[in-house]
Amino acid sequence: MIAIIPSATLLGVEGRRVAVEVHVSSGLPGFTLVGHPDPVCREARDRVRAALLSSGLTWPTKRVTVNLAPGMLRKVGPGLDLPIAIGLLVATGELGPEAVAGCAFVGELGLDGSLRRVPGVVPMVGALQARVVVVPVDCVAEAAVVGRVRVRSAGRLAELVSCLRGDSPWPEAPSPPPPGAGSAVPGPDLADVRGQPVGRAALEISAAGGHHLLLSGPPGSGKTMLARRLPGLLPPLAGDDALVATTIRSAAGEPLPPGGLVVEPPFRAPHHGASAVALIGGGTAWMRPGEISQAHLGVLFLDEMAEFPRMVLDALRQPLEEGVVRVSRAKACVSFPARFLLVGATNPCPCGEGGPDGACRCPEAVRQRYHRRLSGPLLDRFDLRVVVSRPDVADLLGGVPGESTASVAARVAAARDRARSRGVSCNAELPATALDEVAPLTPAALAILEHRLRVGALSGRGLHRVRRVARTIADLAGAGDVVDEDHVCLALGLRAEVVPTEAAA
Amino acid sequence: MSTGTGNGPGAVAAEAVAAGPGSVAAGPGSVAAGPGSVAAGPGSVAAGPGAVSAGPGAVSAGEVAVSAGTGPVAAGALPAGALPAGALPAGALPQEAFVAALAGLPAMGHRQLVALLRRWAAEAAWRRVSEGRGHDDDAALAELWRRAAASVDVHQLWRHHVDGGVGVLAFGRPGYPTALADDHQPPGVLFHRGDPAVLDGRRVGIVGTRRCTRYGRDMAHELGRDLAAAGVRVVSGLAAGIDGAAHAGALAAGGAPPIAVVGSGVDVVYPRRNARLWADVAAAGLLLSEAPLGAAPEAWRFPVRNRVIAALSEVVVVVESHARGGSRYTVEAAADRSRTVMAVPGSVRSPASAYTNALLADGCPPARDATDVLVALGLSTASSGASAAAPPATAATDRRPPPGPADALVLDALGWEPASLEGVVLRSGLAPAQVMVALAHLERDGWATSRHGWWEQVGNA
Repeated sequence: MIAIIPSATLLGVEGRRVAVEVHVSSGLPGFTLVGHPDPVCREARDRVRAALLSSGLTWPTKRVTVNLAPGMLRKVGPGLDLPIAIGLLVATGELGPEAVAGCAFVGELGLDGSLRRVPGVVPMVGALQARVVVVPVDCVAEAAVVGRVRVRSAGRLAELVSCLRGDSPWPEAPSPPPPGAGSAVPGPDLADVRGQPVGRAALEISAAGGHHLLLSGPPGSGKTMLARRLPGLLPPLAGDDALVATTIRSAAGEPLPPGGLVVEPPFRAPHHGASAVALIGGGTAWMRPGEISQAHLGVLFLDEMAEFPRMVLDALRQPLEEGVVRVSRAKACVSFPARFLLVGATNPCPCGEGGPDGACRCPEAVRQRYHRRLSGPLLDRFDLRVVVSRPDVADLLGGVPGESTASVAARVAAARDRARSRGVSCNAELPATALDEVAPLTPAALAILEHRLRVGALSGRGLHRVRRVARTIADLAGAGDVVDEDHVCLALGLRAEVVPTEAAA
Repeated sequence: MSTGTGNGPGAVAAEAVAAGPGSVAAGPGSVAAGPGSVAAGPGSVAAGPGAVSAGPGAVSAGEVAVSAGTGPVAAGALPAGALPAGALPAGALPQEAFVAALAGLPAMGHRQLVALLRRWAAEAAWRRVSEGRGHDDDAALAELWRRAAASVDVHQLWRHHVDGGVGVLAFGRPGYPTALADDHQPPGVLFHRGDPAVLDGRRVGIVGTRRCTRYGRDMAHELGRDLAAAGVRVVSGLAAGIDGAAHAGALAAGGAPPIAVVGSGVDVVYPRRNARLWADVAAAGLLLSEAPLGAAPEAWRFPVRNRVIAALSEVVVVVESHARGGSRYTVEAAADRSRTVMAVPGSVRSPASAYTNALLADGCPPARDATDVLVALGLSTASSGASAAAPPATAATDRRPPPGPADALVLDALGWEPASLEGVVLRSGLAPAQVMVALAHLERDGWATSRHGWWEQVGNA
């Protein structure tokens, strides 16, 4: 007899539908699993057998063939344990076909018959077209995020079978807390930052305009402190954005917030030992999303940026430009969303003191080797490049607390609203052709830019970037449609060449 | 005179000494141990046999070398360093060709080379080296030289120099600079581009760190320019930073020709971005190097080179130097030779002025402008430099448009030390945007400049 149970597997950040076909016939007892399973998936046979026996159900002494269709698609992970077990029960007649009609199943089985959480429930459930989806009880909140399907859950296989047979009622799923509420601890507040007027201004502009930010300064100057406060300034994720962020986090196997839906912009800070694959994605059989995708719609913070291998950093250039990253492997090619705000922090040189000319203790060759890690094209992606210095002792001890995250975030939200009225989500995305229309310059502002261009301190591309940043500054200041001299000057001042790019011999 | 570049107690600490000529000097005294122990002690020329004739400098020293050698060697067949035109018949090579060949041997430091040239004429020395008799006591060194010499074609090597427009000044030969002939650590050879005659005249060394501030670069440029305009030759090292700025200033003045002593071969431009400056100095003045053609800018060559700068300078001006910078070697070499050392005062908070300020504290005269240096040379009678009489930037001489009131406030907050935008914002108490407007105006009008995110005030030039 044959049973076909709908389920799904994970590829990148997408779920793919899988039909689990179980065929039971007379013949020499045996179990064959076909349909391109990965090693973890192949182990399902032993888990399913033990789980059935532990649950008081019978393991058929017949010839069992399980096919995972479509055969071309690689099936990864233990999520197909549950549909295989259910398919066996249906094929051997333990469960009537009508009991599972319209139901899809996803979940891992323990040897004792318990149902366990699997990564990627959000995209997998999203891909299923069934009326009802049955998942392990730990995944209810994740599965419920998708919204359009009815989610059923059970803690153990025996319990599930009894519910399916109609012998006992489905357990009432705990109603998930509303999204966003009860989000664990609030992030760090900008009020903790003392002094740092320029660093704070750069942070605010970066959040408002989506401009990538590079902080350069000696150890202890508060680069990391500033960067960690950036996600709090970004507006919370809403609608599709929240769903996409949730899907990515689920696919990466990371725990979701209590409400299920990810509404706080993510903040990822990979260590500089991270490999290119860890950053870009595609490291596992199911092509796990990398750090840059997990930072999608949020902040990717690269501390000690010059310590990252140059190859890893240069791999960021294409996603920075396009907002997606395509990972090609021999077996599959996957696109991950990767539209993130990049914040880099670097010491000016290995000794950390080499801010102004003549202050550094490093040998010239060491300095140049350090700077060569940061390629010119990558540095060019940073619209905001700021020198931060160690704060004043008086500020640290007795200074007045700075403006709080809440009040800055309000200005940021207002500036983002203005950007949306121009048809883009933030000013960094303004096309160069639209600048004359949406960011006209006053004569004084034009004169400053003209001078910079004439002396060669600004390139054509740099000009567009400066104008976008100036637009954001004007939006934050609540100025009108015209960009004035002070907006342009501040944009220029926040675009310092903090790392010498002419790393000539 | 028996160890490394040791010309002062601190000099041994050089990173260069261990790998450099220190190893060469394994047994320097021994080479000269032959007739009359020429190199026996400090001031060895005076101790040698022909020392009486130290009067007219190079020529007599050359004769000493010849007479102490193997006998009938035709000395001075060609004027020193002259570039003979056309093909050279075999056997008609000038002595300089052999000196150049000797200088290219491995482990041939200036002491070894001078010791050889004091005993024998260059051609004879080359013959002895080729036969493995280059060193009396150190058989391993003699063997090393013999093997290296076997692969050298002196004719071809000399042709390479002639074709490249590179002249050779050899110790003890006519044309060798007088200022170096009397030195206690003379270079055995100087390769050069440009006219060696420009060495005649008053010479001032301007040295300093490669990692200079804008202030240091401006001061070096000004000193180079004003001294050259006053007819003083500027001697420096053509390195990045202070050295290059001094030469650029001297060239800008179009006055006295600049003299550069470099650490690499004269055909190996280092740093690369100074290529234009090298060519200009060679064209307008003189480019000297102790290193053979093709020699890489190895670290040990620079302290050794610095002693040549010190020996060629009547006054050495240190513009900016870190507490443990390479300028120390130049200063110690200058002190060894009783040259006047002057230092440009800098901010006590600037690490790049740490050594110069320490020199001033030790009693070195300050060099506030070119006049101070000219007074030290006896070329000016101004009592104590022009800068003492008048403030440095008077409105009358400043052609820059005066800053507006708001800009002046920010210029004041900027002060005379490099400051980040944040520093100026905190000091002025203004908003970042206001400060940037003022800085943009100041930069446009030449009052301030920025590099790598740091702002500096620019003095009146």
